[in-house]
Amino acid sequence: MEWGNMVHTIPTAPTARDWINAWRVARSGDSDSILLTADGPILTTLLMNHKTGALTRLCWDMRDSNGGDAWQPSWSGIGETMVVEYRLARERPELSWQLPDHLHVRGKGLFTYPLGPVRADVAESLLYRLHVMGDEIIRLTLQNGFKERHIRSLVSGKTIQEALPVIARFTTTSNVHHTLAMVMAVEEAWGIQLSQQVQITRVLLAELERAYSHLGDLAMLAVSTGLPVPQMEYLHLKETVLRINFALFGHRYLRAAIVPGGVAARGWHQDVDPVGAAGMISDVLDQAERMQMGLERTSSFMDRLHGAGRVPPAAIQWGRPVGPVGRAAGLGLDVRRVRPYAAYSDFDLNTPMETDGDAYARFRIRVEELGESLRVVRRILGGWNPRELSPNQALEVLNGPPLQASGVGIVEAPRGLLGYWLRFDPKDGRIAHAAIATPSERNWAVVPDAMANGNILQDFPIIDASFALSVAGWDG
Amino acid sequence: MYYWHWLKNIVRRPETTGFPTDPDGIAKTMSNSDAIQTRARPVEGFLRRSLAIRHIDGGSCNGCESELGLLSSPDYDLTRYGFSFTPSPKHADILVITGVITDAMVPVIADVFEQMTAPKRVVALGSCAIDGWVFRGAPGVRGGLEGIVPVATRIAGCPPTPGDILRGLLATVDGVDPLSGLREIWP
Ligand code: SF4
Repeated sequence: MEWGNMVHTIPTAPTARDWINAWRVARSGDSDSILLTADGPILTTLLMNHKTGALTRLCWDMRDSNGGDAWQPSWSGIGETMVVEYRLARERPELSWQLPDHLHVRGKGLFTYPLGPVRADVAESLLYRLHVMGDEIIRLTLQNGFKERHIRSLVSGKTIQEALPVIARFTTTSNVHHTLAMVMAVEEAWGIQLSQQVQITRVLLAELERAYSHLGDLAMLAVSTGLPVPQMEYLHLKETVLRINFALFGHRYLRAAIVPGGVAARGWHQDVDPVGAAGMISDVLDQAERMQMGLERTSSFMDRLHGAGRVPPAAIQWGRPVGPVGRAAGLGLDVRRVRPYAAYSDFDLNTPMETDGDAYARFRIRVEELGESLRVVRRILGGWNPRELSPNQALEVLNGPPLQASGVGIVEAPRGLLGYWLRFDPKDGRIAHAAIATPSERNWAVVPDAMANGNILQDFPIIDASFALSVAGWDG
Repeated sequence: MYYWHWLKNIVRRPETTGFPTDPDGIAKTMSNSDAIQTRARPVEGFLRRSLAIRHIDGGSCNGCESELGLLSSPDYDLTRYGFSFTPSPKHADILVITGVITDAMVPVIADVFEQMTAPKRVVALGSCAIDGWVFRGAPGVRGGLEGIVPVATRIAGCPPTPGDILRGLLATVDGVDPLSGLREIWP
């Protein structure tokens, strides 16, 4: 697990053009971009080979920039880091990168339908501008930034212990994965080794989170097609999993269950009953499968999903979506298989794949993944004994300086690839720079293209629910 | 296929908890606030039941939204107390605000409150909306609703459980926490 040594660094490129070209070549081969970040004057791209899991770093010193020679990644066909690109365009004027021109959509019979930031019943703040001609959606523009909490700058300069509670609140419905990615980066930098028991418990936590997150997303999808019965069923199953979380780890959202060097839980002094929990998971699995069969036989549901919100092939190549959105469109990247972390190498996971890229494909991926997660959870709970977990000793180690200056943590969160690259102060181990790439900020880039792809206004809630992206992950 | 389900539901006991008006073991253990703080006073003849709730995300991490969304689940079923969610502020009686309150959301919150017709009450949901919680001091983060809208009830927790949210909503109407029967006010 010496990931630090696996990072293959390409020396700083002499010009922006060389940097972008090297990036494009790697990306058109076997590599996928993980993140883009500016640490001081150095722009860094981290890429991962999707066959071997090996990491490559490409750097460019922006002090070499000569004004007009802008070279923006998205102009060169690299769309997955567009959100970071716009952030850098605002924060680093020396780059002379440009913000998007707001294309004005004008014409006879064209109507702009603003929706948000206060919208729907319970929803996160985001402003959609739907440009429609008659019923057809011609274009969608998204405006985010209403809920920016500046987490990346908030954690800089903090110690690991101070930063963890903030990171655990980046996106609560993915908090296990955010914490896990950060903790993996910390463990790599400090050279902390973990027992197999801890690694298995981490898989348990991660799959519990994926299960309730997918159940919540399926409930949203069901209600968007006007089917309250499956919505209620899915919500009840989600609540059941949240209660199992509470019984096992003392928190409904498993917050603070992963700590550097191990796992922790409130309430382990009480009797934890893994076998009883496994039985409840079995029931959830049965019911979820029954729900899926019922929905696939409901023509009003199927008709609305088939062909709705198909991500166009050009947008897939440009934006390279991750997670269920990517896997529904033929991009098979799953970090759990490519670069197994925790104890995933012991589980032969079945990664579902679809190629249609429409709302139905995303539904299929979610139900398949949900079943797989629940089966993994059930299997682990069958032989899991929290009392065997050794007490955590890593916390003292963290007070000393790190063994290496930075660490990487890449995980497969419920919504897709989540990458952390942290640089630490070599003296006291405080976080000097935090680069965080969330799946939602990456996937939002393909939503406008999928929406304006022959859909009508009435499809909007269904397409929106089928992507199931979080705004908290974008606005961080 | 749902017919079979309906039949089964007739014999099965309801999934809905009695919490907070009836003691329910599980919902009570999960609850993480001892008391709901409320400044609301019961208003005879004005706010009774059949209350519409409008929610605003003022910069949350989506945990509070997740729990709020579960109020509609059969396990909590907020409609049994007469509550419902509404998309329109003009229909709303209660404004539930989550998140740290970013500068960008201040005018939006003020506007939505303005659009609501009286009588109306505001609930600060979650530790973030009460004081900014772990995000206090971040750039562009207000950390609380002071000076924007008058807050009637504070529901602490990160995130507060659906049971606690129901307690808070009832306290906003009745002026007392239905679980403890007490009225607590913050300084
Ligand atoms: S109170 Fe907790 S759960 Fe709610 S928005 Fe804040 S951090 Fe998220």
